[in-house]
Amino acid sequence: MDDFYCVVTFHTTQGALAFENVFKETSFSIKLMPVPRQISSSCGLSARVSCKEKENILKICKDNELEIDDFHKIVKKKEKSWFLNHIKKTTQDNE
Amino acid sequence: MKENKKIFIYGGIIGLIGAILMKLGNPGNMGICVACFYRDIAGALGLHRAEVVQYIRPEIIGFIFGGLLAAIIGGEFKSRGGSSPIIRFVLAVFLMFGALVFLGCPLRMILRLANGDLNAIFGLLGYILGIYIGIQFLKKGYSLGRSTEQTKTSAYIIPIFSIILLLFLILKPEFIFFSTEGPGSMTAPIFIALILGIVAGFILQRSRICTAGGFRDAMLIKDYHFLWGLLGIFIFNLIGNLIFNFDTFHISFENQPVAHTNQLWNFLGMVLTGICSILLGGCPLRQTILASEGDSDAGITVLGLIVGAAFAHNFQIASSPEGATLNGKIAVIIGLILVILIGNSVVKNAQKDRKEKEEVF
Repeated sequence: MDDFYCVVTFHTTQGALAFENVFKETSFSIKLMPVPRQISSSCGLSARVSCKEKENILKICKDNELEIDDFHKIVKKKEKSWFLNHIKKTTQDNE
Repeated sequence: MKENKKIFIYGGIIGLIGAILMKLGNPGNMGICVACFYRDIAGALGLHRAEVVQYIRPEIIGFIFGGLLAAIIGGEFKSRGGSSPIIRFVLAVFLMFGALVFLGCPLRMILRLANGDLNAIFGLLGYILGIYIGIQFLKKGYSLGRSTEQTKTSAYIIPIFSIILLLFLILKPEFIFFSTEGPGSMTAPIFIALILGIVAGFILQRSRICTAGGFRDAMLIKDYHFLWGLLGIFIFNLIGNLIFNFDTFHISFENQPVAHTNQLWNFLGMVLTGICSILLGGCPLRQTILASEGDSDAGITVLGLIVGAAFAHNFQIASSPEGATLNGKIAVIIGLILVILIGNSVVKNAQKDRKEKEEVF
């Protein structure tokens, strides 16, 4: 599993829906999801996209006049729980 | 998966706080009710004169303090606004009409369900239908426009308003009204209510729980994250009630506190509340938290809720345990027509704008 993923955020819910409509017709795989907690306190929508396709996605947005807020890379947080870390460490040690 | 568990627990804390506040003296199945509490505040400020529902609810002040605190700590306190404020104000007024015909905001609807009030099932069905209708507008292009950065001063208005409310609550000046009987006289101790409100506000800001958002995301993008939060509220409130409020727990339609059995109007009231919540981008609970973080569009919405509550009692729109009033029924029907017209007109304008843009190219 990757340790990071990318999302596109929008100014309005409408922007996210328009984004989905345009990208439905393309080969890019995108999925709408709530905005990850790390980047915004809005309860709005964002689109999960492939980080590698950043340039292409931004170009399609421009061509279709899709108004986006930003392109974010989200790094998944490392497991913080000392207990889980401890278990992981002990299993690794045993190996 | 981990994130869903987290929001479930966050929701659970809100549910538990609801049960505890009811135990400590708040009205039946009303440990927390955002609509009812704004209505009580409107009454305390003398905006309506329904003597049984006048009190400055410290829980609301707590929500705003807690949300503000969490937003400052998280670096999310930002002054923003300017997205169709007058439409938001009107939608908030009608949202409140719907809620007071049902007798509760969507949060209280969940708390009512969790204490066995079956009338809330009709409210829930109505709320879900209202959200579904609201989503159709979103899909067609409904948008109130993006908010923009505002002067810092705007962001402080609602937090200052809540400080003034707290001073009124403590100093009790003679122009403030406090109920001596009825739901407005049933209150949890001020200090505890304030502290629990702050805890709830902090959690609500961190978790972004929104009763409308939960159902909206489930229906619109098949994402169930926020719905887990709502489930947490329900389940933990249920457990809390069984522990703290067992004597009031009964599963029935009849004899539920601050509730009526006109199911059609329970249903339609919440349809109106559901549509307005989606068109506003959040339920009253979420609007309160957004207002605390500097969102002045949400601030206007909060003021609309207070004014709506005042109208609702001045015009006999609000229901009583005897049932919905004639004026309430008329207000819900007018409200439904009006918000659908507003939604349609916003969609049409958006489509026109898009067409004009295309013609330019």
